[in-house]
Amino acid sequence: MVVVAKFDPNGGMQFIQQSPWIVNSGMHYLVGIDALSLVILLLIALLMPPLYIYMLHERRKGYWYNMMLLQTGVSGAVLSLDLVLFYLFWETMLLPIFIMIGKYGNGMHQYNAMKIVLMTILGSMSMLFSILYIGYVYYDTTGVWSFALSDLTTITFEAQTSIWLTAGFLLAFAIKIPLVGFHTWMAPAYGSAPTPAVVILSAIMAKLGIYGIWRFGYGLFETTLSYYAPIIIILALIGLLYYAIRAITEDNLRKMFAYSSGSHLSLIALGLFLENQYAWSGSLYFIATHALASAGIFFMIGLTYKRFKSVHISELGGIAQVAPRFTFFFAFFALSIAGLPGTGGFVAELLIIIGAFSMNFWVGVFTALSMVSAMLYVFWMLQRTLFGKAHNSCQDIKDLSFREVLMLLPLVVMLLVTGIAPSLFTPFFEPYLATTLADLLQSIGGLK
Amino acid sequence: MMAELFYALPMAIVVLGAFVLMLMSNIEGINLNRLNLVAVFFLMISLVLEFMSFGSTHEVYLFEEVFGDSFILDDFATMFDLMFTAGAILTLLINNDYFKSRDYISGEYFALILFSVFGMMMLSHAHELVTAFIALEIASLSVYTLVGYHKNNRISAEAMMKYMVLGSMTGAFFMLGTAMIYGAVGSTALSEIAFYVNNREVEELTLVIVGASFIMVTIMFKIGAVPFHGWIVDVYHGAPYPITMFMASTFKIAIFAIALRLYLVGFASINSFWTEILQVITILTLFGGSWLAISQNVVKRMLAGSSIVHSGYLLIGISSLGLDSELAASAIMFYLIAYFLSAAGAFGILSFIASQSKKQMRYEDFKGFAHRRPYMALLMSIFMLSLAGFPSTIGFLGKFYIFTSAIESGQIMLAGLGILIAFISVFYYFKLIAMMYFYPSEIPQKKLPINISTILIAMMGLIVVWGGIGTSLIPFIPGADGFIDIAVQVIRSLR
Repeated sequence: MVVVAKFDPNGGMQFIQQSPWIVNSGMHYLVGIDALSLVILLLIALLMPPLYIYMLHERRKGYWYNMMLLQTGVSGAVLSLDLVLFYLFWETMLLPIFIMIGKYGNGMHQYNAMKIVLMTILGSMSMLFSILYIGYVYYDTTGVWSFALSDLTTITFEAQTSIWLTAGFLLAFAIKIPLVGFHTWMAPAYGSAPTPAVVILSAIMAKLGIYGIWRFGYGLFETTLSYYAPIIIILALIGLLYYAIRAITEDNLRKMFAYSSGSHLSLIALGLFLENQYAWSGSLYFIATHALASAGIFFMIGLTYKRFKSVHISELGGIAQVAPRFTFFFAFFALSIAGLPGTGGFVAELLIIIGAFSMNFWVGVFTALSMVSAMLYVFWMLQRTLFGKAHNSCQDIKDLSFREVLMLLPLVVMLLVTGIAPSLFTPFFEPYLATTLADLLQSIGGLK
Repeated sequence: MMAELFYALPMAIVVLGAFVLMLMSNIEGINLNRLNLVAVFFLMISLVLEFMSFGSTHEVYLFEEVFGDSFILDDFATMFDLMFTAGAILTLLINNDYFKSRDYISGEYFALILFSVFGMMMLSHAHELVTAFIALEIASLSVYTLVGYHKNNRISAEAMMKYMVLGSMTGAFFMLGTAMIYGAVGSTALSEIAFYVNNREVEELTLVIVGASFIMVTIMFKIGAVPFHGWIVDVYHGAPYPITMFMASTFKIAIFAIALRLYLVGFASINSFWTEILQVITILTLFGGSWLAISQNVVKRMLAGSSIVHSGYLLIGISSLGLDSELAASAIMFYLIAYFLSAAGAFGILSFIASQSKKQMRYEDFKGFAHRRPYMALLMSIFMLSLAGFPSTIGFLGKFYIFTSAIESGQIMLAGLGILIAFISVFYYFKLIAMMYFYPSEIPQKKLPINISTILIAMMGLIVVWGGIGTSLIPFIPGADGFIDIAVQVIRSLR
């Protein structure tokens, strides 16, 4: 939090720390932040305390080891400016997820844990190949080894090589996001992971895929990414609708919001590749607000499971009659997922949709459909779970305790503030986005 | 003369220790524990002496007036000696409980291990082909015997026969190759061969190339490269756990010692001749080894299969050597250190478990292991991650250097293939971690015995992690780049 006060929005990379790690090969422990990493870092700082409060309920030692390791992994990945260091943290955060799903999960958790690990590692291996190759090209041109991002941006590649290298990175990030077609690990993993792992998976780790494209994709291959942009925009549009439809038909709450999360991340990816100021602000803003909202909703689902021993919509109903506080929080988070005006999600989605319309009318229409479909599944779900006739399992349950309210309150407050007063936050990242975007457009324009 | 005697002392002490153990094993009233300690004592002295002579980069021929230039002493050989003695010490100490739990083990067992270490040390010092052959046979014969030491056990006896017959046959290829090279060059000394090869055109070197190819067959057989891999899984499975550990971690490295010396010294100027063959063998080895490792049910056999894959990674490095990669030699050296640490650790844990029970260890037997023995499971996971090349372990850096050297030498396909194989290997290593952590255990948690085996295994686990993430900021403790510095220094001393 101290970092925010000192942060200068107009500056570039700040708080850079460097210490040698493996000097001969040019790998350094090189960390620093800018607006982009600051947003995600703040999210981590904001989400971790509620998570730890949540974990106080569950008396399981293993959670704590894993969560600490996970926090190290995600923060490290966001901070690192050295490609090998980034790769190290990127893989490190997978290990606790693997153990948490496999050990504390439910359903076919062993199988699902293996699946998420294998798919993600397939992606990261292809990224490793690209990293090694880039490092070698740098060595070839300058004669010294270095994997620091600032050094590597200075080199240029042949068009064909660049396309392959970008593909290596994009595969890793597409699996992490996940874009449609790379998503088969998502629903099973979300379905069987324990609540803390799900919160991190959807709120932070999926965003790191976006972050990766933003930082390393646009850092290293800004021109080549435009080559991939149409493909990704189409994939994202398909994903947007496909995931939304899957979410409507899903009975398991965890899987439903897994798909909803996939749909929204497709939206963020779409905003990123639209490459204009509105969409980029929207995407960055959405990263933050969606993380808050989805963390909230997955907390609520975790609490639901604790009370009713079920997360299936068909086995719930009429919660509002017995547990008003629970109902309020549940409905609030669900609605902010759907992008209710007044919550941060609305502002962000609006910005992306404006960006989409400014590119192409039909892209805009499809993008706007996502908002409608989100409304559809959220309201229908709320109607079936919270209202209506009370289900047998929902007769005598406890409302939220003080500790649980304490845990959820910061998320609610943040969502409301981001929704009502976005102008408080935009100065932090607008200058960064404007300059990066200007650079990007210039380099693309320069090529044409 | 005295100085040379001092240089030769590490080898002499090991062989002396072996004789002392032979004599002692016949005395009544000395138990295995004592014999083990005696063996370790001799190896320790040798280790300390090697440590003292390491780093001075002297290149002297030992007893030149007697042996000519058959023995060389340089940092390359000393580094390998260090690994052999350390490997043998680890094998002996970690398996102390195992030796006591099996009644077929007698005093000669330790003598044989020391003889085999002596053979390997001689191999790393050998600067002449016949010497190398004799050294190789000394090491191999001891290992053949050790593999079949449990003679009432059918699997063990079968493994010994298989290994010995095939091993002797491929040993004959080495001899044949040496004879051919002698026919062409008129000498078997590496420096003479290098001089001869340097001053001739490739067209005149047919006999040398054919001879060297025969030698290559022996080397490929010993490291278990596909298509010479038929023995490896059965032999590793049939051998007692300590010997599997010894073979996988130590003996295999010895073969790479002679391979590197031949490739970088004797045939340095024509080594690009074998690059295509090596590439084909590498690809076969990577895929064949992966297939073998995936299809196994017993953890020991899986590790045997995976050791073939690791040979494959090392072969990537060797074939990049032929294409003038600057990094490759030190990358191979680093990979050997990394593999030595991780494989010795993994097999060490297996034999630690085997000393407590006589069951075969299938994947299923590891269910709930993390609950029964949390610390052992943690260490086993570290070794598995290192073998899989997961970042933040030394195994990752090993693979990192190997793949970078492959890209540097232009073998982009091979590097991509290596990364693909590394991805496949994640499956069978993570499967073990999954087995250990994801299933509850019926048996309650056991107390971890604090003895020399567990302490050593824990130390190796620490080194594996430190070698992956350690910085060089702490004075006196080499970080992750300390290891690569050592590797570079070692390769530089070669001539």
